[in-house]
Amino acid sequence: MVKSIINAMILFALIALTAYLAFHYAPIEKTMGVIQKIFYLHIACAFSAFVAFGICFYANLRYVFTRQPKADWLGVSAAEVGLAFISVVLVSGPIWAKPVWGTWWVWDARLTLTFVLGLLYVSYLLLRSMIEEPDKRALFSALFGIFAFLDVPLVYFSIRWWRTQHPQPVILGGPGSGLDPRMRVSYLLMWGALTGLLILLLTARYRLEAMRASVEELRREAEAQ
Amino acid sequence: MKNLDSVLAAYLAGWAIFFVYYVSVSRRMSVLRDEVERLKGLLSKGK
Amino acid sequence: MALLSNAAVLLEKELRTEYRSRELLTTTAVFILLVFMLFSITFHPTGSESQQFGPGLLWMAFLFAASLMLQACFLREQTNDTLSALRLSVSDPFAIFFAKLAANTLFLLLTELFMLPFFAGFFNVRILHVLPQLFLVFFLGSLGIAIPGTAFSAISAQARMRELMLPLLLLPVLTPVLIASTEVTAGLLDVQPAMNYSGLGLMIGFDVVFLTALWLFGEYLLEE
Repeated sequence: MVKSIINAMILFALIALTAYLAFHYAPIEKTMGVIQKIFYLHIACAFSAFVAFGICFYANLRYVFTRQPKADWLGVSAAEVGLAFISVVLVSGPIWAKPVWGTWWVWDARLTLTFVLGLLYVSYLLLRSMIEEPDKRALFSALFGIFAFLDVPLVYFSIRWWRTQHPQPVILGGPGSGLDPRMRVSYLLMWGALTGLLILLLTARYRLEAMRASVEELRREAEAQ
Repeated sequence: MKNLDSVLAAYLAGWAIFFVYYVSVSRRMSVLRDEVERLKGLLSKGK
Repeated sequence: MALLSNAAVLLEKELRTEYRSRELLTTTAVFILLVFMLFSITFHPTGSESQQFGPGLLWMAFLFAASLMLQACFLREQTNDTLSALRLSVSDPFAIFFAKLAANTLFLLLTELFMLPFFAGFFNVRILHVLPQLFLVFFLGSLGIAIPGTAFSAISAQARMRELMLPLLLLPVLTPVLIASTEVTAGLLDVQPAMNYSGLGLMIGFDVVFLTALWLFGEYLLEE
């Protein structure tokens, strides 16, 4: 109980830090103006999402080869948390895009990749919800997770290649334009804050899964009596 | 400043997503904690 | 090699099973025809639009058809409870996948080639001059669909709502195949036909990666 209060406080502190960085500390960018500030959140979340999915892949491999339930717990936690981060990417992106590009969405390389990535992990979680038996659920979702992760570089290369086949209008003002040192610090600290957030959410979700397993065991004991 | 409300919207949306997710995990956690207590009670009574 | 001879025997079984009923091929073909028709009705494309959207339509139809057709792959074993017997009959579990994979690729390829003249007719596309190249693209594409398709057929057979789960698992993963095959096909069906070698490379890369993954993890997919 105390632990979750402390966690909530850390969560708020991290959020407050990101707010301070974005709205007060970071300077206003020259060409894009205020709207550029969205990138701090957007890019840091994208990075954290990839880290989460990498952890999921590791956990999936570990489960297939060792069959330790803990690996399964880590896998599902990482996938869910990764999906939370991807959602933030997919929401902050369009909010940035509307004033800048005049449209909520374009099927450019990065956005399409992010969308497919999100779909892959939604499918992973859906698959889990469709298999009741815990061992089977762990094994088969891990196997799908492995295939899905191996697909990611292929999706990345194919989408990028596809975009070279069809030349896109040049879009000005990418994230790296005009990097003031305070911007660099903002990016780094934002990335740090969101990594902290990743760890916090991941451990909370992992503990949830561990508790679910102990409930299962207690239930079995109770039924045996 | 123009577009400031867009920036605000993006950050609020982001935090909301993290917050809602954390709350959902916490709630599921407390449900399970109650279940653990209940089962432990059952087991001790049975013994 | 034991693997190849085992796989050959199993492949023969797969082919014979389909030959007896021909249910997979016929239903898949009809489904593709339906997709062509629905597309034409909803978009009623002009001549140039057909040229533009044709390749994409073709491969989407193949993809949807495949995600339905591939369900039968492991579902058949489950309903007839033959999976354990199958596992015992071979020394290397990959032989099972190899056989099913070969059968699925063949079924997909046959259906696609059969549908090609209909496509050419409905959408007024010239194909005869690039037929061998189209065959190559179809082969690599079918392989690309069949490899993860066979693997995920085994996975979704374990799940509830498996008819919906297989497309849900398969279609996002097949994004690279869809992109590459559409682009290469578009290049071939263009007014000035050209073979897109980088696209082919992408397709071959995809096939290699997933075939390797299937070889490494196949035995786990067969666990009960």
